[in-house]
Amino acid sequence: MTLPQTPDQHGKGEVELAVSLGPLRLRHPVINASGTFDLGEMEAHYERDFVADFPFSAYVPKTVTLEARAGNPPPRVSETACGMINAIGLANPGLQSFLNSLPALAKLREPVIVSVGGSQREDYVAVVEALEKTLDSATKGSVPQVAGYELNVSCPNVRTGCLAIGTDPAETAALVSAVRPLTARLLVVKLTPNVTDVVVVARAAVDAGADCLSLVNTFRALVVDSVTLKPFLGNRTGGLCGPAIKPIALRLVHDVAAALPVPVIGMGGITTGLDALEFIACGATAVAIGAANFAAVDAGERIVAELEAELRARCLPSVSAARGLALPGSARSARDA
Amino acid sequence: MSAVPAGSSMVQKAVTVDCRVSDVRRHGTFAVVSLVAPHLARRAVAGQFVMVAVPRGGFVLRRPLSVHAVRGDSIALLIEARGHGSAALAAVDVGQTLSLAGPLGTGFVTEGVQSALLVGGGIGVAPFQMLAERLAAAGSYVTAAFGFRDHRQARVAGAFDIPQLWVATEDGSLGRRGTAVELAETLAVQPGTVVYACGPLPMIGAVQRWAQSHELTGQASLEAHMACGSGSCHGCVIETTAGYLRVCSEGPVFDLRMVIAP
Ligand SMILES: Cc1cc2nc3c(=O)[nH]c(=O)nc-3n(C[C@H](O)[C@H](O)[C@H](O)COP(=O)(O)OP(=O)(O)OC[C@H]3O[C@@H](n4cnc5c(N)ncnc54)[C@H](O)[C@@H]3O)c2cc1C
Ligand SMILES: Cc1cc2nc3c(=O)[nH]c(=O)nc-3n(C[C@H](O)[C@H](O)[C@H](O)COP(=O)(O)O)c2cc1C
Ligand code: FES
Repeated sequence: MTLPQTPDQHGKGEVELAVSLGPLRLRHPVINASGTFDLGEMEAHYERDFVADFPFSAYVPKTVTLEARAGNPPPRVSETACGMINAIGLANPGLQSFLNSLPALAKLREPVIVSVGGSQREDYVAVVEALEKTLDSATKGSVPQVAGYELNVSCPNVRTGCLAIGTDPAETAALVSAVRPLTARLLVVKLTPNVTDVVVVARAAVDAGADCLSLVNTFRALVVDSVTLKPFLGNRTGGLCGPAIKPIALRLVHDVAAALPVPVIGMGGITTGLDALEFIACGATAVAIGAANFAAVDAGERIVAELEAELRARCLPSVSAARGLALPGSARSARDA
Repeated sequence: MSAVPAGSSMVQKAVTVDCRVSDVRRHGTFAVVSLVAPHLARRAVAGQFVMVAVPRGGFVLRRPLSVHAVRGDSIALLIEARGHGSAALAAVDVGQTLSLAGPLGTGFVTEGVQSALLVGGGIGVAPFQMLAERLAAAGSYVTAAFGFRDHRQARVAGAFDIPQLWVATEDGSLGRRGTAVELAETLAVQPGTVVYACGPLPMIGAVQRWAQSHELTGQASLEAHMACGSGSCHGCVIETTAGYLRVCSEGPVFDLRMVIAP
C-alpha cells in the first residue's frame, strides 16, 4: 500500500482519538504500563510539571502490594537485543504508603487505574477493600479520580502469587470472583504471556466478572553474564519486554480480542504511533507504553501524535475505525477507508 | 525503603535536551566529548550524571554518564568504549547531536572540606575533574590517586588537569605499581581529609577499609545498570547498610560507610 508522503497535508479533518474502556472514556488510547512511569518520581526529578501536563490518558502506578516489598537482589535490569530484561520483584512501599500518596495526585485530571498485586488472593482483596474505603470517605478533590483496578496476576519475578495465579485459569477466576463484589469500578485483569493458551485464562477472568483485559506482561527470560557465564540477574530469571516481544504480543492480543467481547489494553514493545496502531488493528481498544518511557520522558505524547498522523495518512476518521482490522472476519482493510 | 540522604541533595531539576558535539579528544579507548549544553552546565553538581541516548538504532535504553567537566556553556563527558552503546557514544564526531537527560542523581558534598583525597579506578575517575575544580574553588586542598590496569588505560589521565595527580598501574607499566588504594597509602594524608571514591565495587570496599583504619570520612559514587535513570523503575538498586537504595536517585553518591562491598 502506498501512503501519502506527508500525512499532515492529507485529510485535514479531525481524527477522533477518544476511546471507551467500558464506562471509562479516555481522551486518547495511550496509557502508561505499570512500573515504567512513576508520576511522583518524574515530578521530583524533571522540570516539567507532569501532573498538570500528563502525557497519557490514564495513569497506572507501579503495582501496589499489601505490605512494602524490598524487591529482588541486584542486578535487576539489563538491555538485551532490541529489548530489556527486568527482575524488580514488585519493589514498592506498600498499601499504606500508596494511600498516603493519593492526595499528591489529586490535581491529576486523568483517571487512575490502580495496579494491585499480591502473594495470595487475600492480599488483593485487602488492598482493594482498603482503597474502596479510603476513596468512599475522601472529600471531593482530595484524591484523584480512581477509575478502576488492574489485577496484576502476571509478574514473573516474585516467588508466590501473581504469576502462579495468572497461569492458572481456576485461580484467576477465584481471584476475580473475590474482588468483583468489592467494587463497582472498572476491573482489569493483566494477563501473562507465559501460558500455553492465553485465551483460556482470559475467558476465565471474563466469566468471573472482569470488565477488561490487559496484555502482555513480560516474558520469563534469562541473560547470561558474558564474563562469569552465570545468570546475570540477581533473581537469575527476569521478564523480557521492549520491541523484541512486539510480534508475540500482537499475536496474543489478536487471539484474546478475537475470542472475547471485552475491551483489551494491548502492550508489548510499543515505541511508535504505528506500533500502537498495529495493536489497535489487532483488536486493542487502548494501548500501554512500558520500556519506551525509559528511552524518552516524552514518549507518551510523541506516540499519541504519531498515532494521529498514522490514522490520518490512512484516511481513518477515528481509532475505532482501525480497531480490529487485523482480526479474522474483518473484511475491511485500511485501504477501503 | 526510606530514602537516606547521602550525597548532596538534588539541587536542580532535569530536562531532556539535544546537544551539539563541539569537540572530541581521544585518549586511547577513551574520548572526551564536549557538548553545548548551557542548561546542564549551569545546573550540574559534581558527581551528577546524564542519561545519554545512543545515536544509533537498535538501542532501547539510555546510557548513564557522569558529568566530567563544565566549561562555560559546555559540559564534557569522558567515555570509555566498553560495549556496543558506549563504543557508539565514544565514536561521535564534532557537529553531531546527542540527546541528554539530566542532571540526575545526588552530587558530591564539597562544602567545608579543607583537604580532599580523590581515589579512582578505571573509568571511575570520570567525575573527578569537575569535583577537583569545585573543591579547589571552595578552598579545599585536593590530591588525586588514580589506579589503572596498564599504561594503555592510564592514557586517560591525560584528560585531567589536577595539580596533585598521582597515577598507579597494576602492571607497573606507568607510575607506581599497584592499585589506587595502595597509591593512596603512600601519600601523606592530613587528619580530617575527606575521601572521595569512585570505581568498581571491590575498589570502593578497599577504600572504605582504608578510610576507616585512618578514621577518615568519605563519599563513594557507585555504578549500576539503569533503565529510567530517575527513580521510576527500581532497576538500579545496590545493597547498602540502609537496605536497597537506587543508584540513580538516592545516589550515585553515598556516604562511604553505607556501601556494602566485597
Ligand atoms: C552513575 C553512573 C555514571 C557513569 N559514568 C560513566 C562515565 O562518566 N564514563 C563512562 O565511560 N562510563 C560511565 N558509566 C558506565 C557506563 O554507563 C557503561 O559503561 C555503559 O552503560 C555501558 O554501555 P554499553 O552499551 O557499552 O555496554 P553493554 O554491556 O553492551 O550494555 C548493556 C546494558 O548494560 C548497561 N551497562 C553495562 N555496563 C555498565 C556499567 N558499568 N554501569 C552501568 N550500566 C552498565 C548498559 O547501560 C546497557 O543497559 C557510568 C555508570 C553509572 C551508573
Ligand atoms: C522495570 C519494569 C517494571 C515493571 N513493573 C511492573 C509492575 O509493577 N506491574 C505490572 O503489572 N507490570 C510491570 N511491568 C511490565 C510492564 O507494565 C509491561 O507489561 C511490559 O513491560 C511490556 O510492555 P513494554 O514492552 O512496552 O515494556 C514492568 C516492566 C518493566 C520493564
Ligand atoms: S534506573 Fe530506574 S530507578 Fe534507577
